[in-house]
Amino acid sequence: MLVSKLKEAIICLKNLRVTLPYPFQPAPPAEGFRGRLELDISKCIGCGACLNACPPRLIRMTDQDSRRTIEFALGRCTYCARCAEVCPEKAIRMTKEFELSTEDKRDLNITAELLMAKCGQCRTAYTTQRIVDRLMNQVAKEIGVEAAAQDWMKLCPACRKVHEAQNIGEARI
Amino acid sequence: MQAWRIREPVMWLCEEITGNRKTYGMNLIGGVRRDIRAEQYPKILEVIGKIEGQLKEVIDAIAGDTTLHLRLKNVGVLPPEAARRLCVVGPTARGSGVTIDSRVNHPYAAYAQVSPKVITQPEGDVWARTLVRLGETLESIRLVRQSLEQMPAGDLMAEVKEIPPWREGIAYVEAPRGESIHYVLTGTDNRPYRWRVRAPSYTNLQAVPTMFQGNSIADAPIILGSIDPCFSCTERMEAVDVKTKKVRVYSQEELRQMSRKRR
Repeated sequence: MLVSKLKEAIICLKNLRVTLPYPFQPAPPAEGFRGRLELDISKCIGCGACLNACPPRLIRMTDQDSRRTIEFALGRCTYCARCAEVCPEKAIRMTKEFELSTEDKRDLNITAELLMAKCGQCRTAYTTQRIVDRLMNQVAKEIGVEAAAQDWMKLCPACRKVHEAQNIGEARI
Repeated sequence: MQAWRIREPVMWLCEEITGNRKTYGMNLIGGVRRDIRAEQYPKILEVIGKIEGQLKEVIDAIAGDTTLHLRLKNVGVLPPEAARRLCVVGPTARGSGVTIDSRVNHPYAAYAQVSPKVITQPEGDVWARTLVRLGETLESIRLVRQSLEQMPAGDLMAEVKEIPPWREGIAYVEAPRGESIHYVLTGTDNRPYRWRVRAPSYTNLQAVPTMFQGNSIADAPIILGSIDPCFSCTERMEAVDVKTKKVRVYSQEELRQMSRKRR
């Protein structure tokens, strides 16, 4: 009995206080920690890959008046970093920030707006300008500058279909 | 309190390996997302070696502590027959001398290669369950060492592009509290349509009325604590009348009113 109590006392005396002086001194997380996500709007092309990967479905994308709005409701974030993993442009990054308590969860939201490209024929906004630019660059680089300069490259998928059908029709005649 | 102190370095280790203390986010369909880096191996071994020593010190100190024995022995007894009848799982069953462990009975993942030992105690009281948990911690340390030694090289993920919709899957793992079962029905867009979890706390909580019998109210918190229940897994109740096939879901308020009523 006494031996046990002595052993317990020794364990306590040997370790004394182990509590860290946090928050008076910072307690940085380990390397590779996934904290609050950060969106680099200069890189985002508005493709929506993050939207499909997000398990709590907190990312919303809406198109209105030739603007694509991407909203992150980060109050629901589980910090899994799947969005950062699938982002083709590496626009999403997980910071080491973890002190995120707030009185209003909307403080955590991120909203980004991207300009949309208009179809050369029907004038509807069909995708973001950045996706079109990216595609043009790729076509010019991989196929040729002439291919990228074609008029139909600036058409929306629906108008492109019509254009293509007309082309085939003319070729038959 | 000393147990919390010993545990903390493990949490730091988890954060370093997975990127978070608790919500690891490691598993995806097809594999795991992060590998254990070469420089992390010696660190893991160092941390678990340290906690092993500290844990043995604590076990050695409390083993003969008569104050603890008076408080925990013969309290919240769940006899082996009752444990079997109520289908309890995990340390709650093993503390009543029932030798079950899904890692041994139905080896999954790599458990067939590391041969876990089943730790049991015959008494069925709070002290027995405590001893089982302590013994299992040491056993887990041994398993971590063994797994690190045998860790093969190779890919972490198999590429899975489309998950076929409307298929069912069921899986079980031995969680710290016992066997946890997950059922999933796949839906469209690579997402689950229905997901049902039977957490070990659900089965273990059924044994609480038996454990409470003949004990004082002061014993209730430690008896409940000894099965380590997860209330967020079990705060709802659905009653099915087998004869009429009627289903009724009880709300939190209804359950509270029922528990306050004298039988």
